[in-house]
Formats: sequence, structure tokens, C-alpha cells
Amino acid sequence: MSDLLKFVENEVQLAALAFLAVVYAVRLIWIFRFRSRKERTFAAGSEAGGVGYSLMNVAMPWAMESTRKRPGFYAQFVVFHLGVVAAITATFIIPYAPEIFRIRAVAIAFQALLAAAFLVGLLRLVRRLANPVLRLISSADDYLSLTLMIMFFGAGVLAVPNDYRRAEWPLLLFFGLTAFFLIYVPFSKICHYLYYPFTRFYLGRSMGHRGAFPRGRKAGTQAPGPVQENRG
Amino acid sequence: MKEGRLRTYEPGDNVQRFLDLLGRRITRSLAVSMTACVHCGLCAESCHYFLARPDDPTMAPVWKADQIRKIFKKYIDWTGRVAPWWVKAGSLRDDEDLNRLKNIVFGSCSACRRCTYNCPMGVDTGLLVRFTRGLLTELGIVPEGVFNVSRDQWETGNQMAVTEQDYLETLEWMRDEVRTELGTASVDIPVDKPDCEVLYTINPREIKFDPRSIAHAAKVFHAAGESWTLPKWGWDQTNFGLFSGDDKLGAYVARNVYEAAERLRAKRIVISECGHGYRSTRWEGYNWADYDQKLPTESVVVTLKRYLGEGRIAVDPSRNPDAVTFHDSCNIARSGDLVEEPRWVLRRVCTDFREMFPNRRENFCCTGGGGLLSMAEYRPLRLEVAKIKAEQLRATGAKLVCTMCHNCVDGLNDVIKHYKLPMRVVQVLELVSNALVVPGRNETKKTAR
Repeated sequence: MSDLLKFVENEVQLAALAFLAVVYAVRLIWIFRFRSRKERTFAAGSEAGGVGYSLMNVAMPWAMESTRKRPGFYAQFVVFHLGVVAAITATFIIPYAPEIFRIRAVAIAFQALLAAAFLVGLLRLVRRLANPVLRLISSADDYLSLTLMIMFFGAGVLAVPNDYRRAEWPLLLFFGLTAFFLIYVPFSKICHYLYYPFTRFYLGRSMGHRGAFPRGRKAGTQAPGPVQENRG
Repeated sequence: MKEGRLRTYEPGDNVQRFLDLLGRRITRSLAVSMTACVHCGLCAESCHYFLARPDDPTMAPVWKADQIRKIFKKYIDWTGRVAPWWVKAGSLRDDEDLNRLKNIVFGSCSACRRCTYNCPMGVDTGLLVRFTRGLLTELGIVPEGVFNVSRDQWETGNQMAVTEQDYLETLEWMRDEVRTELGTASVDIPVDKPDCEVLYTINPREIKFDPRSIAHAAKVFHAAGESWTLPKWGWDQTNFGLFSGDDKLGAYVARNVYEAAERLRAKRIVISECGHGYRSTRWEGYNWADYDQKLPTESVVVTLKRYLGEGRIAVDPSRNPDAVTFHDSCNIARSGDLVEEPRWVLRRVCTDFREMFPNRRENFCCTGGGGLLSMAEYRPLRLEVAKIKAEQLRATGAKLVCTMCHNCVDGLNDVIKHYKLPMRVVQVLELVSNALVVPGRNETKKTAR
């Protein structure tokens, strides 16, 4: 392994990761500088239950009409985000636990997942370009973030075998992209995962307090459900 | 009139005033809703405006929210301040831009929050729209109807400028009607009676256009043996502050109700059937007014359910033989807690209750929400997008559509008239009152349980 590859896999990653952590910390401080309102009403439900339900919403495609009616879109979402997890995991496995990818089945599973995420990324790009609503609202950041993710998945497929003896460029590409990501992400839409707990927390707390979350059963069904007592 | 509270439009540096207000008023939950959107577009098909106009991308909730979001990005969020073009941050140039923003947040959104419930990220677009309305209201850049109703509510304490004399005379008239109907002088509609169990608050529309609903309530309270009163001041539970985004007006009106209850030492505030009134008085008003809730505050539908459950009133469902469907008010179902309660009551007072689809928290707006009924300039668009609601209503085959919201009554009536639907709008109290078996009137009594 060349010194350059070692440097890119270790020092560069750690420096970029530290940068990401600092920017995220600043971002969190920025969020907490906005005031929060005190709730002064009697509760009709459980805030904790509402928050839990709201945060778990991502794993409940039946909970929202928008995902319930589009199982294919939800499946794409799952594959895409599992691909992200796989790619990030690979950035740690390759330099710090390379023996894991020497197990052929594991490497193939990662490659398959990354390849699937790559294809989903392409589908998403096509959708963004073809759908008039998405075209109207999309910013340069929306397009670049998605394109970068597609490249990241593609590079991941090539890098996972970790065969630096044959060629180092797939690994250099993968870790170069990773470092770029770590620096770019805090300024892009990709950092939405940082906001997700906040938006979901506030919505869940408010709706949980009012007894609107958790939603006891699927909307649109006719079976009588338990009557929620108004404890106001 | 609270001096200086209602702003009229003044030429000048309104852009700077708008930005100052934006920076001052934004809360954490709003700030994260501004930043968290990933532009996935999933909200589009949850919106009846977009569903009715699928070829117009400006009807998508995400585009509407982006009109305030881009201003937030440009002036408050760091990425937009550094590289505005990169994240589509946008400047506000002049009053023309503010007027355009007004037409979007007032004219093409009923703030029903259906998109909020369908956003994977939990972005509360309904709340962003209300927030933006509030900033514009502070500058006097509001539809004329919203301005007029807000002014009336500031000046008279009720949104229809009902005078005290009209109010009291209507109550007396309804008291006499109920006395005649029940054949007893023991029925009363008390005003300002202290130490009652229930302080009943109403919608001014009931005084002006539909006083029968007060008579229905009086009849039920009488049958239940309830100790109740209306206040002479603080009786309007509706709140245009919810629609205009004006928290100060919201606080003023809600406080009138809470203070009336305190003054009369009532033990419970009961809100007549009104969607935004319920949301404002039960949920938002206490927070707007910085007033810690002290008394149980409930919808009259919850009161009816209690009476039926406790056997305090008896009903005969055969008196409501027509097929009835239920329309969930957005402000009650999505921004409140009542979904099953009205159904529980309706199943006991009607013989043929049937759901419309989608329903409960996924129901579509009556199209008159968000104060749109008061904004004549947006009526053509409102009625055009009402075709979604019309299709939903028609599919039920019901003769009656019941709702627990006066605003929805008017909204649905517009839809029914415009789309020539063979149905009529009723409210829960009316159906309960129809079915009510009053002891001593030589009626066959059927238990409610």
C-alpha cells in the first residue's frame, strides 16, 4: 500500500471527520439559540409517546399516506439509506478492520447493497429531472448532493474488495470522495439527518401532547377503535 | 379596541420590517422546519390544491413553503448567506414581493396540515404558512377580509361585531323557542351566572346566522340537568389570530374566554362546535396568552359523549334515519385530539352512519379552512380545488354530511352548492338534539349506552 493511500485512508479522514464534528457542533449551537415555547395546556396524550412515534415514523411506511401509497418509493428510500450506512461503514472497515472484507460473502453483500443504492440514486436523479415540482424547487445543492451520493456508491462498489495490490485508484477515489463529503456535508442538504431528530421531536411532542400521535390505527379503516378520552 | 394592535399598511421599508420580525419571532421548531426540507416532493400529493391542479407545480406545499424558506436561508441560515445561489436562497426586494408572498400563504393554502402529516422529515409546512401570515399581518399586508374580521374581533371582542344587545336578545329568543318546544318554562339560557359547572362559549355565527345551534345546546343541557352559563363578555371562542398568524390577537381573544371562566368561577369551559375555535381555545390560546391552563377545556362533542356515556341524556337514533357521513375538521383532527369522539356519538344518534374516505387525520379540508371563507379574492381557486372534497363527499352516497365545525359548515355548503351534490350539512348537536328523548314529554325512551 502506498504512503499516499495510507495518508488518504487515515490522516485525511480523521481531519475531515474532526472538521465535520466542529461544524455540526456549531450548527447545533445555532439551532439551540432559537427560543422554544413553553406548553401551557393540559395534555390529552403522552409527549414521550408522541416523540417516540414521530421518531420511528421513518420505519413505519404505513403511518403516512405518502409512503403507504408508494411502496416502491419507500423501498427506494430504504435501499438508498442502507447504501449510505454501508458506504460509511466501509470507510471504517477498510482501514481499521480489513479482514472483514476478506470474507467474500460480506464483501459481495456490501457491493450488492452499494450497487442497488447506486441504481436508486440514478432513479432519483431521473425523477428530480423529470418531475416538474422537483425541477422547480431543486437547487444546485440538491443536484450536486445526489450526484455525489451516486458517485460515492459507485466508488464504494469498486473499493470494497480492498484490492490495493491490483490497483489503488478505486480506494483513492472512494476515500477522496469520503473526505470531500465530510467537509461538504454540513453545508449541504445531506446533513438533513442532523435536523431529523429536531423536526420529528417537536412535531411528536406537540402532537403527542394533544393525543394526535401515536396514531392508534391506520386511517381509513372502518373498525371502531378505542375512544380517546379528552383529559383536558 | 386595543390601541396600536392592528396594523394598517404603510408604505416604507416593509422589507426590512419583515426581516426584523422574521429574526425576532422565529422559534426553534420553525427554524428546523425551515432547514430540514430535503425537497423530496412527497408532500405534493397530500395537498388538495395540487391534486386538483396536478400540472401546476406552484400548488405543491414544498414550493409554497420554499417561498418563505428561501428568505430564511438568505438572511438567517449561514449557507444561504454565504452562497445564496447554491441553495436557492432569495432576496426580498420590495412590497410587490411581499404582496406576492401574501397571495401564496393566504390564497393557495388552507393551512390544513395534511402535508405536515405526510412529510417524512416532519417539516410542519402548515405552521410555516401561519408564521408567514403573521409577519405579513404585522405589516398590514393581508387580504381585506382578514383585516376586517381581525379589526372586528379586536374592537368588539367577537369576529362578527355582534353587539351586546343582539347577543342577549338572540339568547332570549332561543330560550323562548326551546321553552315552547319542550313545553316548560324551566328551560333557561343563563348569562353570566356564577359558579356553574359549564361555561359555554360559542361562535358568533351562531348568533348571526344559526341560532338554532344555541337552542340545541340549551335543550341538551336542560335534559342533562347541567348547571351552565354563557358569559356576557368573552363568549366568542373563535379566533382570527389563528388564521392571520397574529399571536397577539389570538392571545387577546383566548384570554377573554379564560378570564370569563375565572370571573364566573366556572368549573369547565365547553366550546361549541367550531374547528378553529376548538384548536385556538383548547390548545393554542393558552400558549399565545402565556396563560397556564387551570380549567378543563373541551369541545361540546366531548360533553355530549359524556352525557350519553353516563346516561344523563337518552336518544332515539331512529329520529335520524338518513345516511350520515362525517367530515373531520382539520383543526380538530390534525391539530387537535378529537377523532373518535364524534363518531362515538354519531353511531348512537343515527341509524346509518358511514365513513368518507380518506377520513380522520387524513381527511381533506372542507376548502374553507385557514380563514379562506373571508377572502373573496381567492374564492375561484378555492372552489376549483374543492373538486377533491366534492368527489369525496359524492362517493359516500350520504344525504347528510355532519361536521363539528361552523367554518366547515360554510365551506361544505359552498362545495355542495358549486358541485350540485344531493346532500345537506348538519352538526353533531343538531343530530343529538333531533334524537333527544326528553323526560316528561311522553316519549319512548331508549338508552344511549
